[in-house]
Amino acid sequence: MDPEEDMHDARGESSQEEEDFYSEGYPSDGEDEDDDGDDAGYDFVDNDSDDPSTDVRRLQQNYTTLNEENISQRQADDINRVSTVLSIKRWEACVLLRHYNWSVSKVHDEWFADEENVRKTVGLLEKHIEMPNKRELTCGICFENYPRDTMKASPCGHPFCFSCWRGYISTSINDGPGCLMLRCPDPTCRAAVGLDMVDSMASREDREKYARYLRRSYVEDNRKTKWCPAPGCEYAVEFVMGSGSYDVCCKCSYSFCWNCTEEAHRPVDCGTVARWILKNSAESENMNWILANSKPCPKCKRPIEKNQGCMHITCTPPCKFEFCWLCLGPWTEHGERTGGFYACNRYESAKQEGAYDESERRREMAKNSLERYTHYYERWAANQSSRQKALTDLQALQNEKLEKLSDRQSQPESQLKFITDAWLQIVECRRVLKWTYAYGFYLHENEHAKRQFFEYLQGEAESGLERLHQCAEKELQVYLEAETPLKDFNDFRTKLAGLTSVTRNYFENLVRALESGLNDVGPSNSQAGSNQAACSKSSSSKSLAPGKSKSGKSRTGGAATSSRSGSSRGMDDSIWTCDSCTCTNPKSNSHCQACDRHR
Amino acid sequence: MANSNLPRRIIKETQRLLSEPAPGISASPSEENMRYFNVMILGPTQSPYEGGVFKLELFLPEEYPMAPPKVRFLTKIYHPNIDKLGRICLDILKDKWSPALQIRTVLLSIQALLSAPNPDDPLSDNVAKHWKANETEAVETAKEWTRLYATGA
Ligand SMILES: [Zn+2]
Ligand SMILES: [Zn+2]
Ligand SMILES: [Zn+2]
Ligand SMILES: [Zn+2]
Ligand SMILES: [Zn+2]
Ligand SMILES: [Zn+2]
Ligand SMILES: [Zn+2]
Repeated sequence: MDPEEDMHDARGESSQEEEDFYSEGYPSDGEDEDDDGDDAGYDFVDNDSDDPSTDVRRLQQNYTTLNEENISQRQADDINRVSTVLSIKRWEACVLLRHYNWSVSKVHDEWFADEENVRKTVGLLEKHIEMPNKRELTCGICFENYPRDTMKASPCGHPFCFSCWRGYISTSINDGPGCLMLRCPDPTCRAAVGLDMVDSMASREDREKYARYLRRSYVEDNRKTKWCPAPGCEYAVEFVMGSGSYDVCCKCSYSFCWNCTEEAHRPVDCGTVARWILKNSAESENMNWILANSKPCPKCKRPIEKNQGCMHITCTPPCKFEFCWLCLGPWTEHGERTGGFYACNRYESAKQEGAYDESERRREMAKNSLERYTHYYERWAANQSSRQKALTDLQALQNEKLEKLSDRQSQPESQLKFITDAWLQIVECRRVLKWTYAYGFYLHENEHAKRQFFEYLQGEAESGLERLHQCAEKELQVYLEAETPLKDFNDFRTKLAGLTSVTRNYFENLVRALESGLNDVGPSNSQAGSNQAACSKSSSSKSLAPGKSKSGKSRTGGAATSSRSGSSRGMDDSIWTCDSCTCTNPKSNSHCQACDRHR
Repeated sequence: MANSNLPRRIIKETQRLLSEPAPGISASPSEENMRYFNVMILGPTQSPYEGGVFKLELFLPEEYPMAPPKVRFLTKIYHPNIDKLGRICLDILKDKWSPALQIRTVLLSIQALLSAPNPDDPLSDNVAKHWKANETEAVETAKEWTRLYATGA
């Protein structure tokens, strides 16, 4: 089966569905706002805008993380609402809601359309039948006689003794979540046995289990909520359907796609991700060698181990050859020094690298058509592990290094936030970059213009990220090891903060372009908004950045053509490249939009 | 003796099974274990099992009546809902069990199952296939088996 069919496409949300969801459970707008308490809720929040990790996400929070208490509270609220509107007992409302997967509106609709039928289906009797009016009654399970007032019955009036009820309820609870739909033990009777009976007769342990099943059901059977898939995490996430990106970030800090529950993969859609994951598992045997962390140095052939996050590798002395881990080409061809166009991300160019051992191996693989996939998979996997490394480094930074640095450089920790910001940016960018390789793999071969534009944007983003990662990883080391002149440290601050903001811009461009299917790449006007700190606001939003001066497809084509020529970083004559931060700027700007340096 | 703390319910059920047996059904507890019953069901008239006497064993687990009794055919029988080992596919012996059901109701249900085989909910795939493909022939086989294995000859 095609996994795409099974999922909502992140981009192709049908309006039908949106309507369905907006109406669901919210009979009147705003009524639910109170439930949110001081949680972010559905408000348009912008209080995180100085946190770079949130910048690539939407400012509008379209989801809420729920803890156990929140879940119970919401559930109780829904039960109360149904109980009030339908004038039924709370336990009856609970039975109804469970049956209709906790959709308040569905319960209301069905009930008011055909109450009699609904009652029959879920086992709620309209008139309560009393137990037979005798002094002593026989329990239908243990066959013993008991005084009438010690017996209990559901509204159907079938009497059972206390201990048989307790055993009956306990057996059902220990059988699993089916206990939420328990019926009277009498086999001819379908009357519901609900929360009130459980609460009045089950043991404490069973009552707690029952409550857990109720909470679980409220999350799992409810179309609006899902558990966070992070191992050991007990939060659930409630999502407002039809409200843009599916990426959510749980309070445990794990980011995932609410739709397909894979890790967050914006800007790539769920279908592509599912195909890619399937492909990876099919090819996993062929790809094992890629995950090995050692490659021969392209110059001296000694095995070199990758033990850092950035892809810029320097061979051990005396060789000291600087090369790119991904394509094994000399780093000089990647960096800003030569102004060379970053092309390591492009599949075609990888073929043209010199005759290194590794390349020879690659050529061999081309014979069995794995080469193309290998190219994308290796980059996907490398960014994955690089992100992992960055996360570890970020943790180490927060746990000890910041304190040490604060000591060495006599700076208050509050002044060192730029370093944390840089690392958060790296972590997020590695994630985005990784998924763009899955995107690239499935981007149709003969969509040349799109492909070239995509590769240009991806290359820009990747090269920016490598510079940022290298700076955060290696240059920081100097300041950790010894006291340095304040001026040096301030320069470092300027550089790292600049690289962070430049990289953020590149990635915002990339994400925007991919989310619009590379068709309509909006000018970087919103970039100016989200990046007040580094960008001169006066820069005109109409003619910023590479090839974004005109409209639509011709612009894309133009960009593609000039990128093929490989002429420095500039795409055409209407832009210039900042020498300091390598950001591209429109000709009309006299100052760099990212670092404000004069041209 | 392990039967000393037998629940009153089981004693009552046993007494009633012995004093007023259901037509075509006999069930008597074993001497050593009052939870183990030797059962005999007569093949219902108008069914391929007519004329046969089918032996079954029935065991009441510790959790009974919260859990259903365990029942199994000992006599070989050609039936789409009964497998080679004599296990029976019957909803009240599984998820539709209720503690208000009894040994008597279970055995009556099994008797009814002999009258109305249900090849759409099969336990024995081959027999069910046979039943669906050629019912006349399958019924013949069932009759043949009844003669061979269930007539005490
Ligand atoms: Zn009882
Ligand atoms: Zn009842
Ligand atoms: Zn979580
Ligand atoms: Zn997804
Ligand atoms: Zn070397
Ligand atoms: Zn490279
Ligand atoms: Zn600049």
